[in-house]
Amino acid sequence: MLPDFSLFTIVWGFKVAEKALKQLINSLHPLERKLIPYLEQTSSVESLIQLSQMKDVEVMRALQWLQNKKAVKITETVKEIIALGSNGKLYAEKGLPERRLLDLLKSGPLTLTQVTKSLNLSKDELNICLGVLRKKAAILITKEKEITVRILDQGKQLLGKEMLEERFLKREFPAPVEDLEPEEKFAFQSLVKRKNILRSIEQKKKGFELTELGKLLVKEKVVSGDFIDMITPKVIRERLWKGKEFRRYDIKINVPKAYPVRKQHYRKFLEHVRTKFIALGFKEMSGPIVETEFWNMDALFMPQFHSARSIHDVYYIKEPEYGKLDRALVDRVKKAHENGFGTGSKGWQYVFDVKRTHRNILRSHDTSISPRVLSSKDLQIPGKYFQTVRCFRYDVIDATHLPDFNQTGGFVIEPGINFGHLKGLLKLFAEEFCQTDQVRVKPAYFPFTEPSAQLMAKHPDLGWIELAGSGIFRPEMCKPLGVDVPVIAWGVGVERLAMFTLGLKDIRDLFTHDLEYMRKIRVI
Amino acid sequence: MPTITFALKDIQELTGKKLSIEDLNELMGYAKGAVEGYDKESDQVSVSVDDTNLPYLWSAEGLARLFRQVLGYSKGIAPLKIHKGEYQVIVDESVSKIRPYIASFVARGKKVSEYLLKQMIQLQEKLSEGYGRRREKIAIGVYRLGHISFPVTYKATHPESVRFVPLDFRKEMTQQEILEEHPKGIEYASLLAGAKKYPLLMDDKRVVLSFPPIINSAATGKVELGDQDLFIEATGTDQDSILLAMNIFAYALYERGFTIYSVDIRYKTKKITTPRMFEEKIKIRREAIHELLGIECSDAEVKRLIEKAGYGYHAGSVLIPAYRKDILHQNDVIEDIGIMYGYDKIPEYPMRSFTIGEQLPIHNFLDAAREIMLGLGFQEMMTSLLSNKKTLYDRMHVKDLGTVEIQQYTSETFSVVRTWLIPILMDILSKNKHIEYPQQIFEQGLVTVRKGDETLDYERIAAASCHERADYTTVKQNVDALLSSLGFAYEIEAYEYGSLIPGRSGLIWVNGKCIGFLGEIHPAVLEEFGLEFPVAVFELNLTELFELAKK
Repeated sequence: MLPDFSLFTIVWGFKVAEKALKQLINSLHPLERKLIPYLEQTSSVESLIQLSQMKDVEVMRALQWLQNKKAVKITETVKEIIALGSNGKLYAEKGLPERRLLDLLKSGPLTLTQVTKSLNLSKDELNICLGVLRKKAAILITKEKEITVRILDQGKQLLGKEMLEERFLKREFPAPVEDLEPEEKFAFQSLVKRKNILRSIEQKKKGFELTELGKLLVKEKVVSGDFIDMITPKVIRERLWKGKEFRRYDIKINVPKAYPVRKQHYRKFLEHVRTKFIALGFKEMSGPIVETEFWNMDALFMPQFHSARSIHDVYYIKEPEYGKLDRALVDRVKKAHENGFGTGSKGWQYVFDVKRTHRNILRSHDTSISPRVLSSKDLQIPGKYFQTVRCFRYDVIDATHLPDFNQTGGFVIEPGINFGHLKGLLKLFAEEFCQTDQVRVKPAYFPFTEPSAQLMAKHPDLGWIELAGSGIFRPEMCKPLGVDVPVIAWGVGVERLAMFTLGLKDIRDLFTHDLEYMRKIRVI
Repeated sequence: MPTITFALKDIQELTGKKLSIEDLNELMGYAKGAVEGYDKESDQVSVSVDDTNLPYLWSAEGLARLFRQVLGYSKGIAPLKIHKGEYQVIVDESVSKIRPYIASFVARGKKVSEYLLKQMIQLQEKLSEGYGRRREKIAIGVYRLGHISFPVTYKATHPESVRFVPLDFRKEMTQQEILEEHPKGIEYASLLAGAKKYPLLMDDKRVVLSFPPIINSAATGKVELGDQDLFIEATGTDQDSILLAMNIFAYALYERGFTIYSVDIRYKTKKITTPRMFEEKIKIRREAIHELLGIECSDAEVKRLIEKAGYGYHAGSVLIPAYRKDILHQNDVIEDIGIMYGYDKIPEYPMRSFTIGEQLPIHNFLDAAREIMLGLGFQEMMTSLLSNKKTLYDRMHVKDLGTVEIQQYTSETFSVVRTWLIPILMDILSKNKHIEYPQQIFEQGLVTVRKGDETLDYERIAAASCHERADYTTVKQNVDALLSSLGFAYEIEAYEYGSLIPGRSGLIWVNGKCIGFLGEIHPAVLEEFGLEFPVAVFELNLTELFELAKK
C-alpha cells in the first residue's frame, strides 16, 4: 500500500469527522446546547439534572436526541434494593420472634400451646422461629404429654447477645444489596427466605456514556451558536434570519402519531356499490324497517305455512303488533295464495290468514321493498331499481352471523325481457364486482321467482364465489300487484364481498366499535 | 336448507354410473344443490339441497332418479309398480279434530341392512321434521309387518286409558306419561296442546303400533336388521302432504328393490287407497317457453326436455309425477325445461332499454352532512340498528321514547331497535378508554321511533367529543358549522334533559321546528359508562331537516 494513500485516508477521514461534527453542532436544539457543558462532569442522569438545573424530562429528551445523533449512549443499570416488609417492620420494633421465644423460655420449659398463646404468631412464623432456634441448638423440643419446648445452654448464651439478624433489621432501609457488609449479607440471606420480612425492589438507574463523536463535541464551544431556531412572525417581519444559519433538525426523528378521521370502512364500501348501480342505470328504493308480513312475505307469494316464517327465523315485534294495509291489495294477494288469482296457477290451496298478514316484523330481507315499488303508482316501465338496506334475522351472533346486516337487491322491469336478459345482467354484475367474465349461472331456488338462478363468478383472488341470486318474479306475485310485464329480480351478496374487499375475517368488524382499528385501518 | 348424507358407492349403484365427486357436484347443480363434503375413509358424501318444495330430492333414491334422467338413462314418469294389498286401516271419527289424516303402504321382500335402515330413517326425518314442519303436518312411522294383525285402527283415546311400552323405554306408560316423561314426548308435546284425546294406532288384537305423532311402540315399531316386510304410515293435518310423503317413500323403497302393496284407508264416509298416484296434469303454452326462457324449441325438443325432466307429456299436456306437489303454474315446468336445456346454453342478451340511475334524494343531503363532520375531525362510525333499553334509557337517565321491541331475541344486547344515536356513541367511548384522547366520533344512520300504533324511521346524525376540554362551546361550534354549511339558520332554546347537565343543554330549532338538541353529558351518565373525560354531544334529525330544505 502506498504511504501517500494511507496519509490521504487519515486526512480524508479526519475531514469527514470534522464535517460530521459541524453538521451536528448546527442541528443542536437549545436544550441540547444547554446540556452539553455538563456531559463531561458526570455519567449519571440524576446528577446531570442537578448540575444543569434543567427539568428531568428536558434532560431525558436532550439525551435521547443526542443519542439519535450518535453523540451519547444512554445506559441503564438495574439495582436491587431491599426494604422492610410488613413483618420486618414489626420485628424491627418488637424484636424477632426467636428472641421473644428465648426470653419466654428463660423461666422454664413451656408446652407448645402455651408458647403459641403468649407469642401470638402465625403458624408459619412459629414454625420458622422454632426451626431457627433448633438449628442454632438453642432449644430442645420433646414430646411428652404434650409437645414441650425448653431452653438449652447454647440458648442461654444467646440471651444477652445480639443476633446478626437483629442487628441487620436495625440498619437503614431501603438499602442497595451491593452496599451490604459480608455479615449483613449473611443475615439478609437468612431473612429473605422468611415471609414478609424483606422486600426486594428493582431500581432502574439511567446513565450515559460519551461516544467518540460525543467526546469531540464536548470540546467544542457550542453554547454560543448564533442560529435561527423557531421561525417566528418577528423573525420573518424583521428579516432576522438574514446572514444566519438555521438550526438543523434531526429529520429522521420519531414524531408523535397523528390520526386522520376516515369514512367508516363498510359504509364507504356500500357507497361504492351504490355508485356502481347508479352508473348502471338503477334507481334507488327504500322501505320501512318495521314491515308487515304482507310486504315481507305474502306479497312475494311465500305461503303462510312456509318453513322459514316462524319466531325462530324472523323477529316479530311486540308493539305495534299489526300494521295498516290496503284492503283491496290484500284481497288480491289472498286470492293468489288460495287459488292463483287467475294467473293459470292453482295457488297454494290453503286458507289465507288476513289477520296474520298484518303482523309486524323487522324486515328480514331487502326483497320486501320490491312489491311496494311494483304496486306503486310511481313505477316506471321500463325501469331498473335497487336498494341497499339493513335487514334483520334471528341468528346467534358469531364471526359469521349478525342480527342485522345489509342486503343489496332490486329488479328490472321491461316488456319482453326473459331469462337471457337475466343472464346478461348477471354477467354485468360479475364484471362490475369481480372484474371477471368467467361466470356460471346455475339452477337455484327462491320462493318468489321461477325460473331462479344463481351466479357463480370467478373472483381474481378468491376463486369461484356465489355472487348473486336472481330469477323472474312469479306471475302469482306480480298480477295481484297490478304488474303484467316480466320482472327480473336479483340480489348481490354485498356483505361477503365487503368482507373480502376489506380483508375481514369476523363479520362483527363491519360494525366495529374499536377506535384504534378505525385509526389504523388502511384505506386503499 | 336440507342436508343429506349417503355413500358414494350407493349413489353410483342407484344412478348406474361410476360418478366421481366432481361429477356428483355437477349433477347436484340440477337438484339446486351442491356437495358439501366427502369422507374418503367412510365413503360418505353429504350434499345440500336448496329447494324446500322438492322433498323427493332429500334422499339418495330421489337424487339418483333425477341423475338418471339428466344422464339420459331414463325419461318420462319413473315407474312404481303397486300391487293391490289386502291391508286395511280404519279411521275412527275421533281423530277428525286432532290429526285427521293417515296414508300408508306395505313394502315386502328386501332385507333391511344397517345402511338401508339409516337411509330410511334419514328420509323419514327429513320428511317429517323439515317438510312436515316438525311433525305437525307429517309424522311417519315404520313397523315390522309380521307383528301386525290387520285391520289396523287409527283413533283418538283418553290420555290415561291405554298403556304400552314406547320405543327406547322398558316400562308400560300411558300416553299422558309419555308426553311428560319420554324425551320424544316432551319434545313434541306442544303438537297435542289442548287436545282432550290423543291419536293412537292399534291393530286388530289391540296391540299398540304407535302414538302418532310422538313415538312408536317397542313391540311393533322397532325395525330390526334382517327384517324384510314393513308397514309404513304417515299421519297429519294436511291430506295432500301425507299422501306426497307416502308416495316419495314408496318410490324410494321400490327403487331399493321392495315390492309395494297398497293399503285401503276407510274413513266413515269414504275409502281411499294409498299410495295414491295424483296423476295431475298441467297445460303448457308453447309461446310461454320462449317468453320466459328466450329459447326457440321445436315440439319434439319440448317433448324431449319435458320427459328428460321426469314428466310425462302428451298433446301439450304435462303429466306430473306423484312424488311432486310443487307444480303450481306452467312456469314451474318451464323452469325444468330450462334446466334440462342447460342454463349454460341459454343465450344471454344485454339490457335493452336506457334508464337513468339515481340515488334517493335524501342521500345527497346525508352525504353532505357526513362530509362536514369528517371535516370537523370526527371519526365516522356505523353500528348495529339493534340495541337494548338499558343502554338507550337506563344508563342515559332518560325515559323510554317509544321503542320497537323484539318479541323473542337471541341476545338481550340486541333486543330493540335504537331510538336515538347518542347512547350508541357513549357505548363506543366506554369501550375505547385505553385509546389515546381526544376522541371525536359521529354516526349518521337510521333510528326507529314508535308513536302509538305507528313506527317512524328517521335518518339522524349524532356526534360526541370526549377529551379534557370537551364542553358546550365546542359542541355548539360544531352544530353551528354543520347547520350553517347545510344552509340553515337556527335558534337554541334552553332545555333540561336527564342525560345532560342542566343549564348546559338546549333544543335546536329551525324554521319553527325542533330538529335536535345539544349539550354536555351529565357526570352521573359519564359514570354509568365509566368515562373520566367530559363528553359534549349533539343529535339532529336529518329526515326533518331535509324536508325543511326542500321547502
